[in-house]
Amino acid sequence: MKKIQKGTIKKNRLIAKDTFALEILSDVKEAHSGQFISILCPPKVLRRPFSIKGFKNGTIEVFFKLKGEGTNYIKSLKEGDNIDFLGALGSGFNIKNKKSLLVGAGIGIAPMLFLKDELNSRGIENFLITGFKCENEVIKGSDKTVIGGSVIDFLPEITEKFKPQIIYSCGPEIVLKLVSDFAKKHDLEAQIAMEKVFACQVGVCRGCVIKILKDGKVQNAAICHDGPVFDAKAVVWE
Amino acid sequence: MGIKIANFEMKNPIIAASGTFGYADEFEDFCDVSKIGAVATKGITLEPRSGNDGERIFETDCGMINRIGLENIGIERFVEEKIPVLKKKNIIYILNAAGSTIEDYSKLASIAHKNGIEAMELNVSCPNVKSGCLEFGTDENSLYELVSRVRKNYGGCLIVKLTPNVTNIENLAAAVEKAGANAISAINTLKGLGIKIEYLNGKFHKKEVQGGLSGKCIKPVALAMVKRIRTATKLPIIGMGGISCLSDLFEFISAGADAFEIGTQNFTRCDICNTLADELENFIKTNGFKDYEDLKEKIKEIK
Repeated sequence: MKKIQKGTIKKNRLIAKDTFALEILSDVKEAHSGQFISILCPPKVLRRPFSIKGFKNGTIEVFFKLKGEGTNYIKSLKEGDNIDFLGALGSGFNIKNKKSLLVGAGIGIAPMLFLKDELNSRGIENFLITGFKCENEVIKGSDKTVIGGSVIDFLPEITEKFKPQIIYSCGPEIVLKLVSDFAKKHDLEAQIAMEKVFACQVGVCRGCVIKILKDGKVQNAAICHDGPVFDAKAVVWE
Repeated sequence: MGIKIANFEMKNPIIAASGTFGYADEFEDFCDVSKIGAVATKGITLEPRSGNDGERIFETDCGMINRIGLENIGIERFVEEKIPVLKKKNIIYILNAAGSTIEDYSKLASIAHKNGIEAMELNVSCPNVKSGCLEFGTDENSLYELVSRVRKNYGGCLIVKLTPNVTNIENLAAAVEKAGANAISAINTLKGLGIKIEYLNGKFHKKEVQGGLSGKCIKPVALAMVKRIRTATKLPIIGMGGISCLSDLFEFISAGADAFEIGTQNFTRCDICNTLADELENFIKTNGFKDYEDLKEKIKEIK
């Protein structure tokens, strides 16, 4: 039962328009960028998954954006309140000792910031570019922030200057697809963190499957269990 | 707390419902699987299935809709890879079996019999596959023929899972009993449609998922169906549909259930099967009931 956690809220603060940073004190022993936690949000039936933004000595940080009843519940939590979550779940980024370009979009910056920390601590050179729809939605921490445009438009220029050997990305599906296309065109390795509505969170219900190419065959993979991070080359886009 | 249906012994009356618990061992990080009364496996077919394309899950008020489409590894792999693990880990399981034709079900029954699978739950009520399955569960003659044929090939505990998407569930329950099944489980999911429309950046966006509705919102329907089934048969009934707490168990007993399956609630609280079994046992002990059977009788006597 090691993955059911009863944590306590350490901090819950507004960081951008409708966007919050939540810090949870927990007994979690290990967490890596690309992994997520699933928070119970009464009275909602399904837990809400959030990419981990940071982890230190049991304190887990996630970002969340207000979307409805579930996230409104999380917003209502105050310092000292209890929180029920599962985690850390899923497989995170497979960090390579290669010059890394990180591409985030919107709240997808969360696991990118965590990855950036992990890369920095290993001394791996990296560059993070993140795109936001408008000024008041910007979350700080990137090497380049794009407001109102597409991060994809900036990739050729950055690639030319920075010369990355690998790309890591998290954001809406359309961004991930374009990042994958870009990586393929430039013959770069890429890892992408995917998202869908999760029911069970642990791979059994098969509610969040995508098609991937594995062992020469197209097969199903559950984002919550087999991912959320996938090798971009393996993903078969619908 | 152990109970018996035909010769099938369960550790307690709480069963994890098919489709919400995989092949059981995947939940080991989240609950004590070996303490669950029994686990109904993911619906298994003769050949592996990759399930439906597109969106498969839609959350509703107090419930959810799924259209997984019976993605599963197939009976061969289940027997080879999963049964040894379940046995080794002392996990009591019920094979949930689904098919498109009577032959599919008959073959699954033979394989289950040959491999010593002690209990089998026939899924004749999946709303998410194109052929077979639900068709058997909505016609009493087809259902009688199907269950009879399976019965011939299978000597273990035979449970038939009924759909609520019918006009007269009593006739289906009677047909199941006449065909020689040992128990009825009810209900499978209700047919439902989820639509979400958002207006973003000057454009409408629509998400639509049609499938099986489950969760707390279906409990009143489930209770009504269990009560109606009880009027038509003496077979043990495994009640399910929106169960999430101890008082729900009492309500299902009152309607006529003998055991319970827990479905969607496993997604909300993955240790719910353990919790309910503990709470039930504790209630029996602290309130002076002899055993589970005694508690059941007392609840049924309530006027």
